[in-house]
Amino acid sequence: MLFHTPQFFAFFAVVLVLFYTLPRPAARWILLAASYFFYMCWNAKFVLLILVLTAIDYTAAMWMRRLPAGHKRKAALVMSLAANLSFLGFFKYYNFLASNLAWVLARPLDAFALHIILPMGISFHTFQSMSYVIDVYRGEQEVITDVVDYALYIAFFPQLVAGPIVRARHFFADLYNWRAPDAREILRGALLVVFGLLKKLAIADQFARLADAFFRDPAANPGYLAAWSGVIAFSIQIFFDFSGYTDMAIGLAQILGFHFPENFRRPYLARSITEFWRRWHISLSTWLRDYLYIPLGGNRHGRWQTYRNLMLTMLLGGLWHGASWNFVIWGGYHGALLSVERLLGVRERQRWSLFDPLRVALTFALASISWVFFRAATLHDSLYILGRLFRGPHGHILWWHWQLWFVLAALLLAVLEESYGWFERLPEAPAWAYASAIAAVLFCLELIGFTGRAVPFVYFQF
Amino acid sequence: MTGYALRPCLTAVSPHAAIISLVTRRFSVPARLGLALLFFFALDALAFRTGWYVSILEPNSTAGFLETYLNIEARRPVGRYRQVVAVGDSRMGLKSRVANLLTGNTGCAFGTISVPGTTPRCWFYMLREIDPDCDRYDAILVPVDSYDDRSWENTADRDLDINYLAPLLRVVDLPRFVLSYPSWPNRAHAAEAVLFKGLVYQHDFQAFLEHPRTRLEYVRLQEEHARDWYYNAVWERHSLAGMSVDWQARTAVLPAWLGPEKRHEIEHALLDDPPPDSADYARYRRQWLGSILDRYHGSRTRFLFLRLPRGPVVRPDPQPPDASSSIRQFAASGRIELLPEHLFDSLERPELFGDALHVNEEGGYQFSIMLASEVGRVLASAPGSR
Repeated sequence: MLFHTPQFFAFFAVVLVLFYTLPRPAARWILLAASYFFYMCWNAKFVLLILVLTAIDYTAAMWMRRLPAGHKRKAALVMSLAANLSFLGFFKYYNFLASNLAWVLARPLDAFALHIILPMGISFHTFQSMSYVIDVYRGEQEVITDVVDYALYIAFFPQLVAGPIVRARHFFADLYNWRAPDAREILRGALLVVFGLLKKLAIADQFARLADAFFRDPAANPGYLAAWSGVIAFSIQIFFDFSGYTDMAIGLAQILGFHFPENFRRPYLARSITEFWRRWHISLSTWLRDYLYIPLGGNRHGRWQTYRNLMLTMLLGGLWHGASWNFVIWGGYHGALLSVERLLGVRERQRWSLFDPLRVALTFALASISWVFFRAATLHDSLYILGRLFRGPHGHILWWHWQLWFVLAALLLAVLEESYGWFERLPEAPAWAYASAIAAVLFCLELIGFTGRAVPFVYFQF
Repeated sequence: MTGYALRPCLTAVSPHAAIISLVTRRFSVPARLGLALLFFFALDALAFRTGWYVSILEPNSTAGFLETYLNIEARRPVGRYRQVVAVGDSRMGLKSRVANLLTGNTGCAFGTISVPGTTPRCWFYMLREIDPDCDRYDAILVPVDSYDDRSWENTADRDLDINYLAPLLRVVDLPRFVLSYPSWPNRAHAAEAVLFKGLVYQHDFQAFLEHPRTRLEYVRLQEEHARDWYYNAVWERHSLAGMSVDWQARTAVLPAWLGPEKRHEIEHALLDDPPPDSADYARYRRQWLGSILDRYHGSRTRFLFLRLPRGPVVRPDPQPPDASSSIRQFAASGRIELLPEHLFDSLERPELFGDALHVNEEGGYQFSIMLASEVGRVLASAPGSR
């Protein structure tokens, strides 16, 4: 049941009606039942995995509540983290490790392989529960004693499968101080949902067709123009796909009275890779910062340690996305760029200068190059495409003109949002302005929203 | 958050108060969302219900093709002769140019809105579009492949009709059109075509965006020349002359010029078992042909049904006529007139067919002459006097 399918909207309508009409004590149960039902629509058996992880982390936190600071408390933390990482490691990385081991032993690559189905959203909900347990250990988070509340935090359906990774303190602040969303919040939520749909169906899925065609057989479209247009098509796809999903998740949660953190802040307007990571998948980058980079020492122990920490954080961040060397290289590439920018003293600035558009273009190009590793099927394909980006005949651009105009319109809206924040103002704008915006989005969806078989969200695979 | 004994305050807010607050506060949610929907439907109507988008439809698309036929017929001047129009699909072999050569003798001017691939459901909406007041025609010709209700296909669930009819459907058509489809997926698709036309035009619109100038130029050419192109069109000149069928062995000898695909098609059409009696098809015909007849009830328009030439050779095992078939019952109740069932048997010859189902140029010529003469003769007599 994907967010952009009629089935999901029927499901959400039922949840909404039940949530707002049944007695309040039932509300948490409704959300929890709905969340498990949502997950079971994908694969009923795997709900057991969530239940087990929920039980482990809940128990570990309850344990820590009773224990004073010391070895036993640490043991509870380690047990919880080990359980989470073991599940994640088995489901996500077993085959990767097995194929590498087989390669080292000169055996067939599938010699030790198992047929493993990757549970949907495992990377997200394990990170979420790990952050909770670590925060409890650090004393930054109260222990949640009600198992239903904790289970809801882990399984809450708007963010269950692809984030954003919500910190426990934010979620429980909403849950325990819940109030009905006011009209502005509902209108903002609705706006996020329709804009999310537009991003996914009208832009991401349109460009997915181009990107799929290019990456399926890069040699079929010779020339660097074809290569750049294929790679940029994927850059556009992945941003609009993921941020569209996130917008919908945030919007749906807001309609239910929950406030998720911002996950994307126009990342392709970043003027450096450092800034890019402050704007892209913010909930992951801040998670990596708080639970990996800073504990490793951050930038507190000199230049080289900082570079090492950046590299380690980004390598693991890459590996979080997927179990392949491509993702490791992707992470390493970003870690290297962050280190170089640190070396060069690149700083974020509030004000824009004359050369900033060039910096934006350069950052976008650097980010797009990294997506080659993200999208290409193999390392060999990645290197082949990278070679094609910089040499050979010019070939032809794979896009239609109207797609270019559409992206330019999206860019213009992003620049206007950056400068004037029109999106956040829209729910309070005169009714005709708000209604016109929604109507225009719906009309675009009607005309260019992809209506073929539902294309899964890119980040569902993680 | 304070302390460990946190109690969810979900109990603190009354649900009714929450709902009331949504309606009465400054940013009235229902009003804004309602207005948004209203604006959306207004935009949709402006684009797709004013005829603007239809005017730039790809002429070779299903809907564009049908629109072209309707435009040509709508612009056909109505003179002092009896006005006759033919509905039908690609098998309707009427060449109106040829039929109109006999206008002096028959007293009839012929037009056609026979569009390949269309069915009685399409004909209902096409006739409604072209003749909204049911006063344009003296006669409407309805070709059928048999006066009996035999069919392999469940025509009622044919989704191609939706693509053809998208421009002609109105919101009030929603229940009738949607419920005419037996399967739920096609009902959903049909509802989309009635309510959200943009979804049906999506591919066409994106194709337009890809080559807007080429499209507009082609549309302009169609506007200028479509009538001549269609009116003077020359059909397949090849024939199946020389073909023979061994009914015992169920084999056919076909002319050498046919490609393998065409051969297979012809062998399939000729040698496979004949279609069975179909209650579904009878129901479908009663529904849509009946609806056409109901619309014209009390008008001067006469409905002439004709059985088309069946094929280049005729099976030796004719099936007995079914007196209870939908069409025979329409005729028995006096709502339609049937042209003689065997009127066109003489055209069922290989040299007059281009494939297993369609007459060729020569077949079309002879068919049109025969049909025009017969229609002229029938219309010269009082209704029901034959």
